[in-house]
Amino acid sequence: MTPPGYRQGDGRNAGGQAETAAGARARGQIPSWARASIALLLLALFGGLALAVLSLSSPAPGLSEAVAARIGESGVSHPVTAVLLNFRAYDTLLELVVLVVAMIGAWSVGTARGCGGDTPGPLLRHLPRLLAPLMVLAAGYLLWAGAHSPGGAFQAGSLLGGVGILLCLSGRPLPDGLLGWPLRLAAMLGVIVFAALGAGVAALPGGSPLGWPPDAAKALILSIELAAMLSIGFILAALFAGGRP
Amino acid sequence: MALAPSSIEWALAVVFLPLAGALLCFLAPRRAAALGLTIAALTAASTLGLTLEVVVAGTQRTVLGGWGAPLGIVWLADGLSVTLMAMTAAVGVAVSVYAAAYFRDEHTERAFFWPLWLLLWTALNALFLSADLFNLYVTLELMGFAAASLTALGGSAAAVSGAIRYLLVSVLGSLFYLLGVALIYHACGTVDIALVAACIGDAPRPAVQAAVGVMFAGLMLKTALFPFHFWLPPAHGSAPAPVSAVLSALVVKASFYLLLRLWIDVLGGGGRWLAELLGLLGAAAVIWGSVLALRQERLKLLIAYSTVAQIGYFFMAFPLALAGDSAAWTGALYLALAHGLAKAAMFLTAGNLMRFGGHDRIAELDRAVHRLPLTLTAFTLAGVSIMGLPPSGGFIGKWLMLEAAFRQERFGLAVVMLLGGALAAAYVFKVVGHAFTPAVRSRRERKIPAAMEWSALLLAVVAILLGLTLPMIWPLLQIGGPAAALSAAGAATGAVA
Repeated sequence: MTPPGYRQGDGRNAGGQAETAAGARARGQIPSWARASIALLLLALFGGLALAVLSLSSPAPGLSEAVAARIGESGVSHPVTAVLLNFRAYDTLLELVVLVVAMIGAWSVGTARGCGGDTPGPLLRHLPRLLAPLMVLAAGYLLWAGAHSPGGAFQAGSLLGGVGILLCLSGRPLPDGLLGWPLRLAAMLGVIVFAALGAGVAALPGGSPLGWPPDAAKALILSIELAAMLSIGFILAALFAGGRP
Repeated sequence: MALAPSSIEWALAVVFLPLAGALLCFLAPRRAAALGLTIAALTAASTLGLTLEVVVAGTQRTVLGGWGAPLGIVWLADGLSVTLMAMTAAVGVAVSVYAAAYFRDEHTERAFFWPLWLLLWTALNALFLSADLFNLYVTLELMGFAAASLTALGGSAAAVSGAIRYLLVSVLGSLFYLLGVALIYHACGTVDIALVAACIGDAPRPAVQAAVGVMFAGLMLKTALFPFHFWLPPAHGSAPAPVSAVLSALVVKASFYLLLRLWIDVLGGGGRWLAELLGLLGAAAVIWGSVLALRQERLKLLIAYSTVAQIGYFFMAFPLALAGDSAAWTGALYLALAHGLAKAAMFLTAGNLMRFGGHDRIAELDRAVHRLPLTLTAFTLAGVSIMGLPPSGGFIGKWLMLEAAFRQERFGLAVVMLLGGALAAAYVFKVVGHAFTPAVRSRRERKIPAAMEWSALLLAVVAILLGLTLPMIWPLLQIGGPAAALSAAGAATGAVA
């Protein structure tokens, strides 16, 4: 395969090889020997990992039994939600913080370019009127359903993020009054509520950080998920807009 | 709540205080500097509280959510983790004081530096506390995103491209680590470090070997061990000075700490081949990094390549510790602490020189010694520790490692360490020498706030004083997990080949 602009018959023969290799590198091309060795390396890596996976026993030891045994104390009945919001709630809190970091990082690099730019077509002008309320409704349902079946804050939040992107694409930006601290607060609400409740329950007698008392667990988890859903939605839409307002 | 905070409250504070501070700084960008400084002081005080608690009462466990392993997540504060948190706090306070002055006139940078830096501090403390392999992955991601965003803060094309490369490398490293965690979970059915350590001997060997291989590869990439150091100089060299300081002093230490935890606590000493390979790469890093540092014409790149070299020393402890020589680990950790303080001081002084002259070309430093005596003193003192001259912390670390090398008749490693010291002296004196000679052209000069000079000087002085506090820090490092493990590390050699 000869890339376009590849100078094969370059005059100076002595330095020809180095010259073309350097030229290829300058244009961001990888020489073929390097490609071959990368392919071999990846093949070896894949082979090693395949061997490793084949060596594992099946069924694998896991924690599903431990989860099933204590799900009654978690306040929810769906194992994934129980793990995410109760057994390993601290992981989820840090994941939400990762989303906040991503947004602050994107904001620090530059200002938002807006979504569409041009005037939206007829479809984009009218569709959001129909879709956005339905999507918000569906997000609310997903959030509620997360307690007993697949669903929860992340799924609902992505749907809300979709609403935000749709509104942005159809030329309905946020009103200027909301672009300051209200937007920042909305993006961080999930972490604020999660961390405040998590630290607060540690002060209860016999409490531990992020240890929800079984009686209050459902209410606590639901309020955290509600706040997290809003924040996830805002952050995803803000990341799509691509910078600070 | 009791009047005297318990260890749970101290542990909670070292993670949640900087987190709350970051959110506050983001909500009120105009007050970010004042808020950030307050939170930095409070976080450092909490770190001190936790450290004292560990000194008095030994390893502190905090069971998050009250579930305990394997269902929940556990925080473990032992001597090793509080020592690194204390270094983070020392560097963190100095960098915060420095940054308050450094970003005074740059509104956008100031508004974003504080939340990102406090989030980075959150991630570092969370990483040092965690005793759960998956949670450690989350903290690695948090640290990587915060660090990459901070790198891009300068906004120049070089800074952004360095940051993007750094981000890609960081994500690749984390994903490799995550792959290893998945394999271990599949083999052991748990991600708690203590439970994994108990199970790993009976787990299927190919799976364990593959897991160790990918986790180490990922973490070596994140620690910038030669030949995976390619991303470090552009990222550390183009970021704003306070950011370079925390990247070089703290962020690479965090992934090294995690490597050490895996090696000692999970693998119980690891295998001979892997240790020799890490030692060899470390030795190559010392030589390669030092030679390239000597060849640099820009001060910040020189300091960045010096980091590549110093990282090499940490890895030379792996083969030395094989024979059960726990002094090698203490030496490497001491070097890591001293490097953290001294390298942060060096990058801060580079920031002063750059602000003063508008450039960081070494050949045109132009009698900086007359105009910025404190800055030059700080650079020289930090250089003393980097070279490993007495009585600095760098000297103690290097001495302990050299002693171990001679005891085991590993003369090759000893020669590399001595050569690395000589090369370090050469590149430090190259800078100091130019600061004493007048340059041909006169330069524009800007006044440097006192806070920027004094914070660098204090860090450098602490790096020197670290050499005198060995009797305090040695026992601290032995508290808890590492105590038994450090000495057993060599005895259990070959448990996992």
